[in-house]
Amino acid sequence: MTRYTRLVAAAVLLMLVAGALIFFYAPEDFLQKEPQRIFYLHVSAAIAAFACFAVVLGASIAYLRTESLRADRLARAAALVGVVLTTVTLVMGMLYAKPIWGKFWTWDARLTSTLVLWIIYAGYLLLRRLAEPGRQAARFAAVVGIFGFVDVPIVYFSVTWWRTQHPGPVIISDALPPQMLFVFLVTMACTLFLAAVMVAIRYQIETLTDEVPSPVVQLVGTQREPEPAR
Amino acid sequence: MTRSIAVAYAVARKDLTSEWRTRELVPALGQFVVLALVIANFGFQIDSQNATVIAPGVLWLALVFAGLVAFGRAFAAEREQASLEAMLLTPASAAAIFAGKAIAAALLLIACEAVLLPALALMFGTPFNAELVAAVLIATVGMAALGCLFAAMVARVRSREVLLPLLTLPLWIPFIVAGGQAVQVAMGASGSYNQAVALLIDFDILFVVLTSLAARFVLDD
Amino acid sequence: MALIVATLLLFASGPFVLWPLIKTPADEPAPAITEKTENKVSAIVAHEITQRFGSDVALDAVDFALDEGEHLAVLGDNGAGKTTLLRILATAARPTSGQLAIFGLDAVRERKALRAQIGYVAHAPGLYPALSAAENLEFFCSLHDVDRKRVPEALALVGLSDVARRPAGRLSRGEQQRLAIGRAVLHSPRLLVLDEPDASLDSDGPDLLASVMRGRSVVLATHDHALANRLCQRTVMLSNGRSLGAGTRLRVVR
Repeated sequence: MTRYTRLVAAAVLLMLVAGALIFFYAPEDFLQKEPQRIFYLHVSAAIAAFACFAVVLGASIAYLRTESLRADRLARAAALVGVVLTTVTLVMGMLYAKPIWGKFWTWDARLTSTLVLWIIYAGYLLLRRLAEPGRQAARFAAVVGIFGFVDVPIVYFSVTWWRTQHPGPVIISDALPPQMLFVFLVTMACTLFLAAVMVAIRYQIETLTDEVPSPVVQLVGTQREPEPAR
Repeated sequence: MTRSIAVAYAVARKDLTSEWRTRELVPALGQFVVLALVIANFGFQIDSQNATVIAPGVLWLALVFAGLVAFGRAFAAEREQASLEAMLLTPASAAAIFAGKAIAAALLLIACEAVLLPALALMFGTPFNAELVAAVLIATVGMAALGCLFAAMVARVRSREVLLPLLTLPLWIPFIVAGGQAVQVAMGASGSYNQAVALLIDFDILFVVLTSLAARFVLDD
Repeated sequence: MALIVATLLLFASGPFVLWPLIKTPADEPAPAITEKTENKVSAIVAHEITQRFGSDVALDAVDFALDEGEHLAVLGDNGAGKTTLLRILATAARPTSGQLAIFGLDAVRERKALRAQIGYVAHAPGLYPALSAAENLEFFCSLHDVDRKRVPEALALVGLSDVARRPAGRLSRGEQQRLAIGRAVLHSPRLLVLDEPDASLDSDGPDLLASVMRGRSVVLATHDHALANRLCQRTVMLSNGRSLGAGTRLRVVR
C-alpha cells in the first residue's frame, strides 16, 4: 500500500500548492472581490467530475462489449469519485452564488445540468446497491452510465434553448487575465491528479471487495451464507 | 426485419388485449389525472388570469406521474417476469419484445391523455387544439421508450418504486422542457412551436434508437 | 422539414451501422464443442457447471452428459440446485463458469439459435390469465414463427381441447400446468426441460408426460423417484449444489 500512500501524499501536496497559489498569487477580482477565489476549485472540480463520468462511459461501453470485470470495477470507482466531485461542485457553486448573485440557486443551463448529472449518477450508485450483485448489477449500471452521460449534454442544450425563449440571469463572462488563467490551469491539473489518485484507490478497494467471496466457497457445503448486502 | 415487426405487433396486441379484458390500468390512471387537476386547482388558486400560465405545468406533472405508473406496470408483476422469460426463450429478439411492450404502454398512456387533455381544457378553461394534442403525443413516444427501458431494469431490483423515478426523470427532462414550451405556445404564450416540436421529434428518434439498442442488455441475461 | 427527414434517416440507420460495435462476446459464433464418446449424437455435454449468486454457490462443478433421445432425471431435495441447473440448460440463465454444449453448440453464445430447439416448463407457468388457453398458445406461435395450426394439435396433446376458449386465469392449477407443457412443445423442440412438472398434475400426469417426452431428449427435475425410474434412463442426483453422481437408473436404498 505504500505506493498509494506516496500517491496520496503527492496529491495532497499538489492541492496545497494550488491552494497557496489561489490565495496568495492570484490577483483579487475587480468586480467580485474575494469570493471569486472559489471559482478556481469549483470549475476544476466540475471538470474533474466530467472526466470521471467520461471514464464511466468508456468503462461501461467496454463492459457491455467484453464483459470484463476490470471494466466494471473501473466504472464503479470512477462513478463514486465523480459523484463526490459533483457534490463538491454543487456546494461550492452555491457558496459562490450567494455573495455574487444574492441567491443560492438559479435554473440556468449549467446549474440545471450539473444537478441532473448528480441525480443520474447517484441513481447509478443506488442501482448498483440494489440490483443482484454480479452480472445483473454491472449490466444495468453500464446502461444507466451510458444513458446518463448522453443525457447531460442534451439537458444542457434543452435548457439553453429554453433560455432563448425565456431569458434569465446572465452568467459572468469567463474571460481571464493571464495570472488568473495560470492559477486556474494549475489548480485544474492538481484536481485532475487528485481525482485520478482517488479513482485508483477506489479501484483497488473494489478489486479487494470482489475477491472476498472466494475464500467463503469452501464453507458452502456445510451451510448457506445469506446474500451480503452491498 | 418483418419478423421483428410481427413480434412487436403480437406482443403489443397481447398486452392491449389483456388490459382491455381486465380494465385495470386505464380507469385508475384516468381517475388519478382528474384528481391531480382538482388538487392543482386548489393548490394554485387557478383563476382566469393564471390558468394558461399554470396549466402546462400541471399537465406535465400529471403526465409524468401517470407515465411512471403506466410504464412501471408494463414489467412489474412477478407473473409478468415469468412470462417475459418465456417470451425471451423463443427466437424473438429482445429488442422486438421490448418494442411491443413499449408501444402497448405508450398506447395506454395515450388513452389516459385522452382523459387528461379534455379535462384540463374543461376545468382550467385553456385552449384545446391540434397543436396541443400533437405535442403531447410526440413527447409520449420518447418518454415511453425511456420509461419502459428503465421499468424493465428496475422490475428485477429491490425498491423499484423509488428507483424508477430516480432513473427515468433525469432522462425525461429534455422532453418536459421542449414539450412544456410547445404546450405553452399551443395555449397562447409567445415562442416557437415548430422549434419545440422539432426538438421533441429529434429526442424521440434519438432515444427510440438508443433504447432499442440497449433493450437486449436489459431484458436478456 | 427536409432536415427532420434527414435526421430521421440518419438515426434510423444507426442500429445497422452500430451493430458491429454492440455485439458482445456472447454473440460471437463459437466452434462446436465435440464430445469424445462413442455415441456421436450428444444432446447435452455439461462440464463443471458452476453458478454463484454473490457468495452463495448454487451449483458446484456439475458434470453430466445426455445422448439424443434419452431422458435424464435430476433428483435432489428442495434447495439442492435443480431449478438453477434446469434454468441453465434451458438457456434462461448463464452459469458463472463451466462449459455447456447443447446439440454441439455453445449454450451461451448460440443461445438464440438453441432456443428454437428447446422447450422449457418452469416452476411458475408464466401464462397470461386474461387470454384464453388457445390465445396464449397462438401468441407463442407468433413468437416462434410457427403455424397457428399447431395450436389445436398441442391442446389435444395435453388434453385441453375442451377448455381452449377459457381464460387461462380460470383454469385449474393442473390445467395451467398442462397448458405450459403444451406451450413448451408448440415448436416441436428437440430438447425438453421440465421443472417438477408432476407437482401439479393429477393421476394421469405420468402418462401425459410419457407421451409428451416420447422421441425427444428430456431433462426432468423431480422429487418422485418412481416417476424418474419409469420415464428416464439416466439420473443425476444433486445435493447442496454438488452432483452426488450421475448414472443410469439410480436406485436409492433407504
